[in-house]
Amino acid sequence: MASQPGESGLSIRDVGMVYRRGEQVTTALVGCSLEIPEGNWASLIGASGCGKSTLLRILADIVRPTSGTALVGGVTPAEARAARTFALVSQQSTMLPWRKILANVELGLEVAGVDKVERKRRAEEAIELVGLKGFEQAFPSELSGGMRQRAAIARALTLKPRFLLMDEPFGALDEITREKLNFELLRILKETSATLLLVTHSISEAIILSDTVAVMSPRPGRISHVVDIGFGHERTGAMRDDPQFGAYESELRHALHGPAGAPRPMATPSPSHALA
Amino acid sequence: MAFESGILEQGLGAADEAALHRNEPPPGWLLEAIGAHRVRAVLAPLAVLVVVLVGWQSLCESGAVSPLILPSPLAIAEAFIKDGPNLLAAATVTTIEALTGFVLGNILGFVLAVAFLYSELSRRTVYPLAMAAQAVPIVAVTPALILWFGNGMAPKIFVTMFLVFFPMLVNALRGLRNADTEVMELLYTLSATPLQQLRMVRMPASVPFVFNALKISACACFVAAIVAEWVAADRGIGYLIVLYGSQYRMPQVWAAVLIGTAISMAVYGLVVFAEARVAPWLNRRKRPISD
Repeated sequence: MASQPGESGLSIRDVGMVYRRGEQVTTALVGCSLEIPEGNWASLIGASGCGKSTLLRILADIVRPTSGTALVGGVTPAEARAARTFALVSQQSTMLPWRKILANVELGLEVAGVDKVERKRRAEEAIELVGLKGFEQAFPSELSGGMRQRAAIARALTLKPRFLLMDEPFGALDEITREKLNFELLRILKETSATLLLVTHSISEAIILSDTVAVMSPRPGRISHVVDIGFGHERTGAMRDDPQFGAYESELRHALHGPAGAPRPMATPSPSHALA
Repeated sequence: MAFESGILEQGLGAADEAALHRNEPPPGWLLEAIGAHRVRAVLAPLAVLVVVLVGWQSLCESGAVSPLILPSPLAIAEAFIKDGPNLLAAATVTTIEALTGFVLGNILGFVLAVAFLYSELSRRTVYPLAMAAQAVPIVAVTPALILWFGNGMAPKIFVTMFLVFFPMLVNALRGLRNADTEVMELLYTLSATPLQQLRMVRMPASVPFVFNALKISACACFVAAIVAEWVAADRGIGYLIVLYGSQYRMPQVWAAVLIGTAISMAVYGLVVFAEARVAPWLNRRKRPISD
């Protein structure tokens, strides 16, 4: 399953990101490195503002890093985007309101120039996979947030991407729906054998969905801790009752907030704002 | 430069506000025609109309108002019957002028909006001219247009086009820019071409704005054509109004006005109907189905 790091997986090497606005220079990311072998599942977790979404958006070729390199399947994000080897799912379950669910799911295939019959077949297959069968002819505004998010995932799957980049895909959903979708995503991941990079702020979601969890800390954003989750890919709801799950949970919580009892570094003056 | 664009933005705002004011719900008779439901919505204004007509008729019969100032409804109905063929022929001419101008003007406005969207240079150079053109009192220029284009339909169509293209340009440009950032990002990650972005996102996103412009110009196009006919014409509703007016045949003048009103309302109704057909997502009930 796993191959040589960086050869065909997701690779982030010493990536830095600096924003300049006039005189003010903000360091968003500094020295971030992470290797995710193909077929593996990884999560980026951290408080808001730690740059985890920026890291994902670098891999999706939406922003370019100011230093370091990012590789998607051994090529640059721009090349990967042109070859459509990755799919991005965002928190907002971006839908075109004027398209019915079927047409929304077909969007990627339509852009890629796949013919109509094949488009419909593959879209229906993906809709069935995410459990939205029967809602093909509904408009997005007629569906709940959870169902729209399933549709967004279906759309991402139609192009059979090698890499799934998900930016807090379940962040806007309630806890119950979120957990249900977590396990459905696990089933889908096994069926498609895609590589996953998930950005989340939920510790349990990160453990459920990952082989590797990278903890990020803010100002400047960096990867401060990496935890390997040894659950393999055969996962069921019972994993939550495994004592090991609790151990991972507390390890991650400490990595995020510092050890219990230690003063939590809240509201420290930002060292990242420096004059150029 | 920033100052200039500030003025442009203000221009947009004012025109949009006009669009909002005129974007009222469809008239009752249309709902009846579409759904055959909400009969009350049709009956209530109809009852008011009957009361007004009866009051009007008795006012005229009482002799308090000269028939020259205000002819009675029955006299107008009589004019309809007597001059029906004339009125219909004139209405046909005016409708052709108004609708030709409507179609051409709206196409011109939309094409310009697309051009402005993709070419900053064209926006900077042509937009101020388009705004200046809008400020020209085109009706006052009509005599010159008639010298240039002759006495036929061409100058009327030109005036109509001229009045129609600007609301479309302003609204369409705003609509095309209304595309959601998230959606544009999605299209970007899918490596969509600019043409695909235009076709799949920007154009559908502009539909509500485009229909606002169409609703404004559906009635305005008839006003434009009729006013242009006043200046010089040998047929059309505007011509008949001038002719009958000079002969003091007031019932006929009013009959001509009413027929023009009826046709432009019908065109407005068609636009509303088309919007419901073209953009069903705007009218669907927003009631989420739960998981």
